[in-house]
Amino acid sequence: MNRTWYNRIWINNKARLGIIIVSIFIIIAAIGPIFFEDPNAYIDTPLLEPSFVHLFGTTGQGQDVFAQTIAGARSTLFIGFGTGILVVLLGLIVGSLSGYFGRRVDNVLSLIINIFLLMPGLPLMVIIAAWLPPGPFSIMGVLVFTGWAWNARVLRSQVLSLRERDFVNASVVSGESNIKVIIYQIWPQMLSLIMASFIGATVYAIGAQVGLEFLGLGDVDKVTWGNNLYWATNDLALLTGSWWTFVPTGLCIALVSFGLTLINYGIDEISNPRLLSERIVKSRLPNLFNRNGSTPVARKLFGK
Amino acid sequence: MENKILDINKLNVDYLTERSSINAVRDFSMHINENEIFGLVGESGSGKSTVIKSILRILPAPGVITKGEIRYNNQDILEFDESKLSSLRWSHISVVKQKALNSLNPLLKIKEQIIDTMQAHEQIRTKDAIQRCNALMDLVEIDRNYLNSYPHELSGGMRQRVVIAIALALKPKLIIMDEPTTALDVVIEKEIILKILDLKSQLGFSLLFITHDLNLILGFADRVGVMLEGELVDIDSAEIIKSGGNNAYTKKLINSIPDLSNYNQSKTNKNEPELIHVKNLIKSYSRHSSIFSSDKFHAVDGVSFNVNKNEIVGLVGESGSGKSTISKILTKLIDFDGGQLLFNGEDVSGITKSKDLLAYRKKVQMIFQDPFASLNSIHTVYHHLSRPILIHRLYNKHSKKERDEMVLKESIDILKEVNLSPPEEFLYKFPHEMSGGERQRIALARALLVQPQIIIADEPTSMLDMSIRMEILDLLKSLQAKKGISILFITHDIASACYLSNRLIVLKNGKIVDSGVVSEMINNPKDKYSKLLIDSCESGWFINQ
Repeated sequence: MNRTWYNRIWINNKARLGIIIVSIFIIIAAIGPIFFEDPNAYIDTPLLEPSFVHLFGTTGQGQDVFAQTIAGARSTLFIGFGTGILVVLLGLIVGSLSGYFGRRVDNVLSLIINIFLLMPGLPLMVIIAAWLPPGPFSIMGVLVFTGWAWNARVLRSQVLSLRERDFVNASVVSGESNIKVIIYQIWPQMLSLIMASFIGATVYAIGAQVGLEFLGLGDVDKVTWGNNLYWATNDLALLTGSWWTFVPTGLCIALVSFGLTLINYGIDEISNPRLLSERIVKSRLPNLFNRNGSTPVARKLFGK
Repeated sequence: MENKILDINKLNVDYLTERSSINAVRDFSMHINENEIFGLVGESGSGKSTVIKSILRILPAPGVITKGEIRYNNQDILEFDESKLSSLRWSHISVVKQKALNSLNPLLKIKEQIIDTMQAHEQIRTKDAIQRCNALMDLVEIDRNYLNSYPHELSGGMRQRVVIAIALALKPKLIIMDEPTTALDVVIEKEIILKILDLKSQLGFSLLFITHDLNLILGFADRVGVMLEGELVDIDSAEIIKSGGNNAYTKKLINSIPDLSNYNQSKTNKNEPELIHVKNLIKSYSRHSSIFSSDKFHAVDGVSFNVNKNEIVGLVGESGSGKSTISKILTKLIDFDGGQLLFNGEDVSGITKSKDLLAYRKKVQMIFQDPFASLNSIHTVYHHLSRPILIHRLYNKHSKKERDEMVLKESIDILKEVNLSPPEEFLYKFPHEMSGGERQRIALARALLVQPQIIIADEPTSMLDMSIRMEILDLLKSLQAKKGISILFITHDIASACYLSNRLIVLKNGKIVDSGVVSEMINNPKDKYSKLLIDSCESGWFINQ
């Protein structure tokens, strides 16, 4: 109980593995592109199979797939995490105001949240992305616009329940201003939900962004994971059997999402004591534990 | 030698942690004879619930039974497999829990719930089951028509009777009752206890009655066990326990049974001016009875009272009487629908501007019921104490360093005043590192730092162990006298109200039914309900009437 929350995340195996995976990709995204002058350069014959010269082979245009996979990480992760932060920030502000002040404020904000939830996200996303000038910030804007409402809804209900707690009332009675009550008393208590929302939003942002770019709605001149897949289809990768043009990028996307999901699982286990205690009993008494069964009796293990 | 229906021998229960384990129950041994009432007493956290959940093997993870035996009719329950356990549960041992509303499914009719229970354990045709339902309802004296009602349509006392009926459905030999009357008011409590005793004499079962209310259990149990921190420290016949038991802790518990003879006899000065005056206060909540209609439920229904300067007023009422609503209205946490609230003769009913609210809160402070919930678990004591100082003193002119020094000095002074020593050590503790009593002292310190004229104390001692209650009450009393502030002491416990207050107000269903000076109220209660409240402080009160 005395451990800080980041310490508790780190000792959780799932979360630790997730953090390691995601960190590796963040490091790759940060320093990887330095080693490649121009990942778009035409350097060799098109559609070469993977070899020691070109680790992941070449694309249908004769570009190095390895260089493109590494270079694509930067833009994709930047948009992914950036969108995650913005979505959660917007959701947190709207959700907090709505949940804390209630009544008329809640009525108006809830209405707006509900309207955004009812809008069909995918078609809207495609239409707006096609209308805006292509580029990373347009995609970020589209994703935030269509994705913030769900987080606002979830965070609002958490604020709503925390608002009724005595420590919040006590803080109000001692004269604290509403904004300070929200920031210093309520937000720290919902840190694990905020983290989970952020990670969920990031996974969503990466997936949706790749999807939009795959459809050609991004800036196709930039090297991103979504564009890598777009060009692979454009060059008829499946028909020519050149699997190496899309598998590395696809794997990277899957791995990042997997890592993020693992972190989310870890947070879930930490913030849900029931999951944690079941895991403890399961690991210490593997033969006796049964989730739906009766209290285990371990007289032999602990001695008479 | 009588037949032992349940025999627990050196039971040990651990809660596993990542690497070690916490020994929650240690070498717990006791037995219950056929047709006996056994009372198990202990403060919160003493392990009572762990023991009863172990008996039924329903203790959730990370609980593990590590040693001992639990014999039911000479068979060790700890060796039962799942199918044997499921035939043991309810057919042989059943449970009545504290909150009837939580034990009943809100979406099923009473009839369906009783039949469900029967059919889960016996092969019985629905037609026969309905007949047995009727018989059960007669047994607990509820009109048979209620079989077709939903739980929310019944009153609290009726719900608890239904839960008892379900517990009796399969004619078990042993019924475990876990604080079955704690959530009920004294009038209903009396009815339920008498009903339980009546059923026992009719049907003949053994009863394991768990409670924290020693006074109640001593009135009807054959034998009583006392638990402290996971161990059974005393076990004996009710008479011996009543006369002090075999253990210093039992003696302490017996002595802490509320005693009305020790009431506050000091008279208040009649000439003190009025501080708070409440006129005809009304607060209602709308209650949806169906999708199309909602009716209003008056939580506070035309309440008028006043609190003078330098006076402690006890506001006594049971759950649902509206006393917490009043405390929230007085601290401006919620609005009210009708009436007037005067402070120092000034109408403060409609203040909404944050400047006015701040000025009001400078004068009116509050202590909450649960000291764990009223302190934010992620902040230290220093944070909790520094906020009121920084908000209400005008320290902005000073440099940050000077300000920090002043905050530190004031925090340490106030910790000394609430008897927390050494104060420097407490300053950087987190709420979970302190005991309930210490936490409540911090909450009191926080309220005092504002230097208010009145403190609204909403059940400040009800979540504390009996032995610590008195200390907090004495602290409140001495600080009140020293600082000359007023206290509105809100409680369900008339004995502590009599001990602390100069004047009493008795609240029932949102209305004031009785009020007066403490000595008058004790010796000569005007209202039937307040008389019963006063009587309930005596042992065996529910029978001797």
